This record gives sequence, structure tokens and C-alpha cells, in this order.
Amino acid sequence: MKPKTQTSLPGYTLTCRMAHEAAALERLCQVVRIRGFRITRMNLQSTDGQLDIALTLEGSRPIGMLQSQLEKLHSVAGVVLDEGASQTRSA
Amino acid sequence: MNGAQHILDAFHRHNIGTVFGYPGGCIMPLYDALVDDVGVDHVLCRHEQACALAADGYARASGKLGVCIATSGPGATNLITGVANAHRDSIPMLVITGQVASGMIGTDAFQETDVLGMTLGIVKHSYLVDDAEALPQIMEEAMALATSGRPGPVWIDIPKDILLTEVKALAPSQSSTPEPGTPDIAEALAMLREARRPLLYSGGGVSLANAEDRFRAFANASAMPGVATLKGIGNAGKHNPNDLGMLGMHGSRAANRAVEECDLLFIVGARLDDRATGKLDGFAPNARTIHIDTDAAEISKLRAADVALRGNLNGILAAFTRELERQPLTIDDWWSQCQTWRTTGGFQAADNEEPLAPITGPVFIRQLSRITADNTVIACDVGQHQMWVAQHYHFDHPRHHLTSGGLGTMGYGLPAAIGAQFSDPGTTVINVAGDGSFMMNAQELATIRRYRLPVKIIILDNQCLGMVRQQQELFYQNRESQIDLDDNPDFMAMARAFDIPSLHIERTDQIRRGIETILAYAGPMLLHVSISREENVWPIVKPGASNHEMMDEPKRTTAQKEHVA
Repeated sequence: MKPKTQTSLPGYTLTCRMAHEAAALERLCQVVRIRGFRITRMNLQSTDGQLDIALTLEGSRPIGMLQSQLEKLHSVAGVVLDEGASQTRSA
Repeated sequence: MNGAQHILDAFHRHNIGTVFGYPGGCIMPLYDALVDDVGVDHVLCRHEQACALAADGYARASGKLGVCIATSGPGATNLITGVANAHRDSIPMLVITGQVASGMIGTDAFQETDVLGMTLGIVKHSYLVDDAEALPQIMEEAMALATSGRPGPVWIDIPKDILLTEVKALAPSQSSTPEPGTPDIAEALAMLREARRPLLYSGGGVSLANAEDRFRAFANASAMPGVATLKGIGNAGKHNPNDLGMLGMHGSRAANRAVEECDLLFIVGARLDDRATGKLDGFAPNARTIHIDTDAAEISKLRAADVALRGNLNGILAAFTRELERQPLTIDDWWSQCQTWRTTGGFQAADNEEPLAPITGPVFIRQLSRITADNTVIACDVGQHQMWVAQHYHFDHPRHHLTSGGLGTMGYGLPAAIGAQFSDPGTTVINVAGDGSFMMNAQELATIRRYRLPVKIIILDNQCLGMVRQQQELFYQNRESQIDLDDNPDFMAMARAFDIPSLHIERTDQIRRGIETILAYAGPMLLHVSISREENVWPIVKPGASNHEMMDEPKRTTAQKEHVA
């Protein structure tokens, strides 16, 4: 099956810090998927038991909804929306 | 102490006296520790799904943490529906599963499944324990997480070797998650005072926050007309004159009309579920919204709130109550209008109560409501009977109404009733089931017999999957597909096989005697109620339609009524 290509969707950049525990990344990616976003780029760094993850996303739903859902995850310490990058991509 | 004994120690420290489980290979160390334990009563259900649903019923009825235990592989996968059910309805639950030994994980070992991976979407949080010394801390954290903020299930998957390892770490002091404070209500209060047609819209969040008393004080002080979601039924109490009943797909015409006409929705602990709102674009089209919830992610999730108040419901409602007691709202015209709608558009039993008439669901449930005591717990399954209970049974408290709201889990009612009965052995607990739902966890009759639970079981038997049949009739050109259950077993014989006496009724004049008989019996008893196959739940909003497009029961001719009979 061919992957869907939806080039007109708004894009966003989120950075997320979370505890580096079992299935941490899967948990994060699952929330992104189920809340209607697609990861187009991911950069990950592990330091002192923490994961710092930069996500470039696209999706038609409000990004604030995803941000609040990610912030609910117990293992997530913080989520920051890069407003500049997001505006540039969605402009 | 080894890992297994640490788990029991944590139960003792948190006064967890009842757990629901089923043993198996990888969880055996915990079951071995139970042999010597004093203080934790283990309830052996006959299927792991029922363990989770019983823990759910225990938690809903009591407000305490529900605990379920199973082994790895199929034990864990069988739990999943029950845990998903708790997740969707924000029920505090601790799930403990055994896992294959640490060194065997990832080798496709016997009864190995990636439980952590497959359950990520149905838990508030989960752990795979990889260090025995971390277990005491994880237990503490898990119980705090499950019960704090917006509650939910927390799953701990524990390899067998961890359960057997001697743990040196001491149990940590009991932790708690900081609760959000009380936000400033000034803006919301001003908006509420400006409104001419404000409507109180409450959901399951009220009881989850143990805010029933504060909610009622607020509802009385505001005198706002109110509507409730399926899980909010009972928030206002049984005799509140402002209560317009349930809104939504099977809501009352009065409730849906009030939502349509209101100019302010005051939302308390509700998440604007699609079964409540119908087509979102058409929901409360003239209203501004004040949304109060403990979960920030629910506020403005589906509809932007004009004022969002995130925090502890008790504190917020108390703050509003103080202000409204000082200066009440002036909404007399709106209140009168809603009272008119309440009189003409409330739930009414559609059929007559002629003595020889066949029994209908609404007529039966209304009599059940009249006969039972206010503190009776009703555990429903899922389907038409569930909606008849929601419409026609008058609940005095939301914890008396156990219903699978978010997930809609057929087979929920019987194990939930078992859990509720364990939470309060002296309370009357009734499972109202449909014939389809009953068969999904009928094995739990064995649990009822084993523990001599006085659970009452009522099966409203229409010999079909009634809700599916109804939607096929209304929305699929009456093309019935796989809904016939006319080969149901003899339910009374089934009950007899578990030493449970039973009674059959089929006419309206038998309802009272039937209900009174099962209530008077000291032990468990089953009441088999034959109802018409063709009865529908009214009103109904077509899935995806707006609530104002709700359909009422068509007027039937005498000939049609005779056909139904």
C-alpha cells in the first residue's frame, strides 16, 4: 500500500523531553499518530536518563491539542512548540 | 522480602483488601506469596477480562482503587478489554501481570507477549520492571498515579525473576501527585451572570473528583436547569427539579432542546463526547461555554471554551457556590421554559402498563426504579437495556450507576456487579443485562456461586442484539444482519447449573412480583424477562446527525401493536 502524501497540511516543530524508560519513544509516537499527526522528521538524543526529541510534524488538527495530550504523559517532562518554525512551515 | 511480597506489602500499606485475579505461570510467585498473606482477599474470577471489569466495578462503586492480576501472554491479553474500559471511563485501576523472566524477553518464549507495547494506548501509564530494587518505588508511584488527577489504569508488567528476587529497597513513603489549585473564577462568573439562558452540563468527572456534594450545592445555588451525560446521571440527585435528564443520542427531548436553546453552557467534568453532542457543529449553536475540568487536555479539545477553568472541581464549584448564594442568578423565564420542556419532553414509558400487555424495557425499568431503594447499585451491560436504564431509572448518586460509557463493553455488567458487591457486601447490587451481553461473561455465574454473592441478575431477553437490530431497521433499510439470538440457551437452566434460582416473567402484571421476589431472596437470583424483539429505544439521534434531528417513536397502529405483542 502506498503511503498517503498530503503536502498541504500545516507543519509544526515540537521539542519534547521525557524520561528514558521502556517504550518511551513508542508511547510518544503513538500519541502523535492517534491524535492525527504524522512525523516527517525526528531527532533524538539521550542524556542522563532523559530523551530530548525534536519532532517535525504535519497534521490538520490544532497542534495545541497534541501538545496537551503529550504533556499528559507521565514520562514527559515538557513539550515546547517552536512557534517560529511552525509558522514558517504553515505559512 | 522478595518482589512478590513487596507487592502485597504495598497493598497492605494502601489498605487494598480486595483484588481480582487469575493465576498462571509467570505470576505464580505472587500467588505463592498470597498463600501466607493475611489481609488481601483474592477474588478468583473465571476469565481475566472479568477480573479487570470486576476491579472496574469495585472502583466505580466505592471510589477506591481497583486491582486486577493476571499472568503473562493470554492472561494479559484477556485483561485488555477490561483495562481499556477503565481507561475510557477514567477509572482508577492497578493492573499487575507476570512476564516471562527478564532474560527470556524477546525470545518468543512460552506465553510471552509484548504487553507494554500492546497496551500503551489504554493506560494512564505503564511499567516494565527491569530492576527488582525499583519495584517498591514503582508500586508507590503507580498507585498514586492511578488515583490522582484524572484517574485511570496503571499497568505494571513484572518478569517472573523480579517477583522472586530479594529486594533490599525499603518501601518509600506514600507519594501523591500535586492536585491543581483553584483558578480565578471572576471572568466565568461575569459570563454566567450575563447569560439569560444558562445550562449546567455535567459528566462523569463530578464523581471521579468526589465532588458530588459540592456539585449539588452549586446546582442548588445556581438553580440552573441541568443536563447530564451517561456517566453524569445521578449527579443532581433523584429529586432535583432542575434536572432535565440525559442529553445526546438517546437523551430526552427536553435536555436536547435546552442545549439547543441555551446561551451559555456551564460544563463540569464532561468531555463533549460524540454520543452526547451529536454532530458537533450543531451542538449548542447559540451558546458560549465555560468548561471546568481537572484534565487540561479535555478543555477545548473538541470545542473551544470561552472560559476554561482547569483545576480541582471541589474548589471551583465551592467558589461559584459562595458567589451565587450571595447573589443568585435571575433566570426565571428560562427556568420556567425548561420546566415546560421537562414536563412535555421528558422520558416517558412509551407503552401502556395494561396488566396483560407484554413487558417493554421502559415499563420494566420504571417499575424497577420505583421498587428498589435509593442506594441500590445497578450494573448495566451495553445495548438497548443500558439506554432504558439511563432513561427511566432514577439514580440518586452517580456511583449507583455502573455503565460502560466510553468503550461500550458488552459483558461489563455481571463482573462489574461482582466488583460492586465486594466493595459493599450489604448493598443491593443488580446486573441489568441483555441476552447478548449476558452471554459475554456468563462464566462469572461461577464466581457468584463461589463467593455466595447476593447479586441479582435481570436479563431483558429480546432474543436478538437489539441495538444493532434497531439501527439496521432505522438506518440500513431494515436489512437485518447477524442479530438473531433466538437460539439462546435456557437462561434459567444455566442459572440452575450454578445453584442460582430463577424466575421467568413476560407480562406487565408480573413485573412487581418478579422484582420483589428477587429482592427478597437472600442470595443471588436471576429474573428472566421476555420482551418484544421489535421494541426500540426512543428518542434516537442518527449517528453523525445533530441532536435537534432526533427521531421520536412513530405512532403505531393497533394492528402494529398487536404484531409486536
